[in-house]
Amino acid sequence: MDGGPDNRMERRDFLKFGILTGATATLTACEKPAQQLVRFVPEEDFVPGVASWKPSLCTLCPAGCGVVARIMDGEAEVVRNGQRGTLQMGLAKKLEGNPKHPVNRGKLCARGQAGLQVTYHPDRVRSPLKRSGPRGSGDFQEIGWPEALSEVVAKLEELRSHNRPDSIRFLTGYLRGQSGVLINKFLASLGAGPALQFAPLDEPVLRRANLVSFGRAALPSFDFERSGYVVSFGADFLGTWNSPVSQSIGYGEMRRGRPGNRGKFVQVEQRMSQTGANADEWVPLPPGTEGLLALSLAHVIVKEGLRPGQPATAQSREALEKLGNETYSPREVANRTGIPASRIERLAREMAAQPPAVALIGGAPLAHTNGLFNAVAVNLLNLVLGSIGLPGGMFFAPRVSTMQETVSPNENSDFVSQLLAGRLEQTEVLFLHQANPVFSTPPLWQVPQTLKRIPFLVSFSSFIDETSVLADVILPDHSSLESWLDDVPESGSSEAVLTLAAPAMRPLHDTRAMPDVLLEIAKNLGGSVSEALPWKTFAEMLESSYRQLVEAERCDQSEGFDKLWKKVVDQGGWWDGKCHVPPLEATALSFRAPEFVAATFDGNEQEFPFYFQPYVSQAFLDGSVAHLPWMQELPDALSSVTWGSWLEVNPQTADQLQIRQGDLIQVRSRHGTLDVAAILNPGIAFDVVAMPMGQGHEQFGRYATQRGANPMNVVAPIQVEQVGALAWAATRVSLAKIGKQVPLCVAAGALNEKEKDLR
Amino acid sequence: MSHRWGMAVDLDRCTGCGACVIACQAENNVPTVGEQAAQKNRLMHWIRIERYYESEFPNPRVKFRPVLCQQCDNAPCEPVCPTYASYHTSEGLNGQVYNRCIGTRYCGNACPYTVRTFNFFNPVWDKPLQLQLNPDVSVRPVGVMEKCTFCVQRIKASEIQASAENRELREGEPTPACVESCGPRALVFGDLSDPDSEVSRLARSPRGSMLLGELGTKPKITYLPRESSDGQNR
Amino acid sequence: MVKTADEIQRDLLRPVIQTPRRAIPAMVGLALLVLVGFSAWMYQVYTGIGVAGINRPVFWGFYITNFVFWIGISHAGTLISAILRLSNANWRRPITRCAEVITVFALLIGAMFPLIHLGRPWLAFWLAPYPNQRGLWPNYRSPLLWDFFAINTYLIGSLIFLMLPIIPDCALLRDNLSGWRSKFYAVLCLGWRGTQKQWRQLEAAMHIMAILIIPVAVSVHSIVSWDFAMTPVPMWHSTIFAPYFVVGAIFSGIAALIIAMVFLRSSLHLEEYLNAHCFDNLGQLLLVMSLLWLYFIFAERLTTWYGNSKSEIDVLWLTVRGPYRHLFWVMVFCNFVIPFPLLAIKKLRTITGTFLASVMVVIGMWIERYLIIVPSLSRKFLPYAWGTYRPTWVEITITGATFCTMALLYLLFSKLVPVVSVWELKAGLRE
Repeated sequence: MDGGPDNRMERRDFLKFGILTGATATLTACEKPAQQLVRFVPEEDFVPGVASWKPSLCTLCPAGCGVVARIMDGEAEVVRNGQRGTLQMGLAKKLEGNPKHPVNRGKLCARGQAGLQVTYHPDRVRSPLKRSGPRGSGDFQEIGWPEALSEVVAKLEELRSHNRPDSIRFLTGYLRGQSGVLINKFLASLGAGPALQFAPLDEPVLRRANLVSFGRAALPSFDFERSGYVVSFGADFLGTWNSPVSQSIGYGEMRRGRPGNRGKFVQVEQRMSQTGANADEWVPLPPGTEGLLALSLAHVIVKEGLRPGQPATAQSREALEKLGNETYSPREVANRTGIPASRIERLAREMAAQPPAVALIGGAPLAHTNGLFNAVAVNLLNLVLGSIGLPGGMFFAPRVSTMQETVSPNENSDFVSQLLAGRLEQTEVLFLHQANPVFSTPPLWQVPQTLKRIPFLVSFSSFIDETSVLADVILPDHSSLESWLDDVPESGSSEAVLTLAAPAMRPLHDTRAMPDVLLEIAKNLGGSVSEALPWKTFAEMLESSYRQLVEAERCDQSEGFDKLWKKVVDQGGWWDGKCHVPPLEATALSFRAPEFVAATFDGNEQEFPFYFQPYVSQAFLDGSVAHLPWMQELPDALSSVTWGSWLEVNPQTADQLQIRQGDLIQVRSRHGTLDVAAILNPGIAFDVVAMPMGQGHEQFGRYATQRGANPMNVVAPIQVEQVGALAWAATRVSLAKIGKQVPLCVAAGALNEKEKDLR
Repeated sequence: MSHRWGMAVDLDRCTGCGACVIACQAENNVPTVGEQAAQKNRLMHWIRIERYYESEFPNPRVKFRPVLCQQCDNAPCEPVCPTYASYHTSEGLNGQVYNRCIGTRYCGNACPYTVRTFNFFNPVWDKPLQLQLNPDVSVRPVGVMEKCTFCVQRIKASEIQASAENRELREGEPTPACVESCGPRALVFGDLSDPDSEVSRLARSPRGSMLLGELGTKPKITYLPRESSDGQNR
Repeated sequence: MVKTADEIQRDLLRPVIQTPRRAIPAMVGLALLVLVGFSAWMYQVYTGIGVAGINRPVFWGFYITNFVFWIGISHAGTLISAILRLSNANWRRPITRCAEVITVFALLIGAMFPLIHLGRPWLAFWLAPYPNQRGLWPNYRSPLLWDFFAINTYLIGSLIFLMLPIIPDCALLRDNLSGWRSKFYAVLCLGWRGTQKQWRQLEAAMHIMAILIIPVAVSVHSIVSWDFAMTPVPMWHSTIFAPYFVVGAIFSGIAALIIAMVFLRSSLHLEEYLNAHCFDNLGQLLLVMSLLWLYFIFAERLTTWYGNSKSEIDVLWLTVRGPYRHLFWVMVFCNFVIPFPLLAIKKLRTITGTFLASVMVVIGMWIERYLIIVPSLSRKFLPYAWGTYRPTWVEITITGATFCTMALLYLLFSKLVPVVSVWELKAGLRE
């Protein structure tokens, strides 16, 4: 684009042409106002037909991969200053992983690719909305930004003047990067408490375990590229867990990047997941006993003196001595897990003999009532395996000390804890941002009822979902491609990463970026609030935060800050090795001796013979991407189902219960029922049934609404002990045939390749 | 230098995640057919991840296999098309000329890999999803057959760019959408006529085999099966 | 009872000269049904071929079944007529025209189905090799192109073969009718005067056509079979397909001919012409074809089963123990088990007997086409891509409408031209 004189001429001519066209069109529009849309003057420079690539950030899951968007010019129907018209603008046509981004290194997962559909979704909220009917009816009327903002400002003013700042609360998904800083600054300036977080994909149990074991309530990263042995307890690390793209890259290299050494991968779970399907060895065991197995493996390694080196602290040594206890011997554990002692011993010896070995845990094992025990047990196994902080093992991604990290919630900022403790009853105003607790919590927690009792709900949501439908005012956010974004990915990179993205596209609709809206509200409120948030735009805030970073890190500024800033914006973030902050060393590990805790399940075995295992699914995650048509049509890796929900039942179990594929089954727990079609899954335990999370939306756009069933409807409202997160894998259920068949959309024509398919 | 495009699929790297499926759909304007059509087995993905169970619980084994147009040198779909809509290009690709297709679907039957998909209706994109459509790839109307083209639009763009810059194509250029998105790097694309390219190297691997090679279709994709940890092919 | 030439003429021209009372409502009824089918087709063209039940991998279903079926039906007519003429069998005389007209109409209907099944039928003319500014020609390697040429050739040949012997009868009608009808037949008979020279020319032309039409007929259904056999699809890729299809075609064609003759016999009171002797002979022919058909199907399935190739066994299993097994046994019953005693035992080989057997055969052969096409496509090589097929109302409606079309065309034809050749019967009297 920065070419010689010829290019400049083209651009000038183009703009002239554009203005001329605009004028002509406006004139023409005057003749037939009803039929012809106004043609706006292009707002940006581009060379028609030539693509440019602009960096951005994928916000669909917590991994925080960097993307680049291919921008090509096209004509779109947009709203400018409240008027509809057409605009020749740069349109994102394709997303790819940002090749320079250290987390995903140019690769992108299926959901990341589908993120393109968020911006262009037909059901996006296109302008501010005001509720015009009863709460939850879905009746809204379009209003302008001035009116919408003034309503919110008025409400906040009122509360300020009555000195009731504690009645203002803000619910968000994650608090990451400068937008997280801004939210909390905003709240603090109002005298309100910290933001509440509700992020079903977050892993609070793992964070607590890591806090207990490593002093850091952070998510782990893994150097699979150099691993010799990987044992995963239920973690879908090649699918949806933690930082799947980064982990997949490492996995690929582990398998084929080192000639002659493809490592060994063992998966421990009850239901073969997409990740588990790639395992060399697959170990089933009763739900809740994963931690026990981990400790038993550690026991064997310790007892047989297979572990490398001595642990650092006295506490760790004590922990390891406790490991030698008979409770964790393979013989004892064999009784509880059904895994023969010989197999436990063999696995342990293999692990120790093929370093670097690393263990990880995620998914259902963390969602049993003893999830914390399971996680700490796996941490202890990692200690024993001796790969923490070393190549091929587990580590924590380095952080930049001056930049806002992801804040993991404590009791005061965890939405569910506050809700259950009744702390939302005094709330007058609740802001809703990137969270859908109505959908992702068991009905018995009464989230919608609680929200309905709050007098004023303001949502920034881009879509009408189960939570935002309750709002009084919706101030629709830009999509991620239309926004200034920054992020601090917590895992998946061996260098410190700060992602930064300028908008890749102009806004399509009459939406505004949430941070900018907060800044505008602050300005309108004036006084201490606007003083605390002196920036006019979020972009300004981002730039100033980078100035601070550059100062604090004493980065090389010989070419001037502007040059540095431009480089950061152009490449999509900052990962300059020069300003690298070393990661936490594994020297100061302190391990508390694990106290054995058994898992308890809601419902007795006779009445509810099956363990119920919902899982974060490849197409819908926790439900937050179910509205994307590409995702609805993506055949699930194992069940190959599209456009629906399914209940996975073992074929032998199905035979006994005379259940055929497609039969509508009523799943019943002590707390609720749901109806879902059965699918035969040869990879699931006899006494376990599983179904994907994320379908069963009552509201979420045309592709997801009234489709399938939401497993939350039967999940028992139990929490993981000592952590407070929902123990969504602690429910027992019974199954009953309803007597109807559902025409399931199953893409696979057969279950297996070799034998005749007799089903 | 004339190219001969080919691919290698390393099933030991492939995790079945499906990123390639969506990347391809986004790049090539593959329509979303909707629930009714999905029920009728009318999905249009140009690449699919086949999943086979090899054994049952308590020792289940699953294998994943991405299947896309094999660009056969002896393609059964080419002689049977009455209007020459399916033809062989000079770079070894099986080309599909959408405008020439009258929709006999003979090629779809003849293809042993069942990789050809058909537009049973005019594709629909609820506005404004159509803004995402890639302008480098035509949108196919009702009655037209389509399939993976190895992202021929990217191949052509790279070739044009390289010739404008007076140089040869580099390794990794061009890259189809599926290859670009694959995290574990299970999919490798390149020039089979260049013996030093990665794809040629993998094609020569003793692990490699052709899918349904015994049919004599001469596919251009080499599949490298997953090994078990004791070194046996599973 | 031997009839005189005048009696023959009177009997055979009667249906043309006078319209039977029930004919009009029958024609109207049939025409309405045909219109329903046509509307279904137009709906399909407008909305998209997706309103039919075809999918991936079963890209061909009812329409191609009908295509093969009707082209098959078309075989008996001209083939029988040609062979019987060449061998100078006397009993051919009453049935030649019925047979020839079946061929033409069945071909016309059958040839419509490639149009109906196309995704973009408005571009079907690209199958024809015509010079165009893009320099594009059709792909001669494609069996569908061979179909195009073969069916067109057969159609033209059958039309000539049909029209030639009609000429003297048209002349008869010209002479026996008055007004515009006489003028109509005058045009059709191309100025026939009945001179010696013209008779000689006619007989020579008919003789040549009879010889030429036989290889054309054999090639047509061989080519149709190669639509399937020239692909690697399991249980399609078989060298037996060409003779198997030809045999099946003749088989179903004779059965259709018998059915048509039974209806003509009763509705036009041609009992003395289309008599038991004709049916007896045709019944014996049908028996031979039934045995031949059984032989082919047995040989094919034995070879497949013995060969034990995985992909072929997967398909074979579908008709043995899988979801298509019921249809398979219905087919065997219809094509062999029921017709065999009816046709082999002389006492049972009556007009009713042959009629029943023929109805069974037509049903059985339609099922046979379906079982050739659909199970193979539903189970090709990669099991993940296996699928199923279920016809929709559009396909069923159009299928039903084509049977009505056949009936309607036949009815109209019998109104226009005597279905039993007058001059040939008269000529037969002399012998």
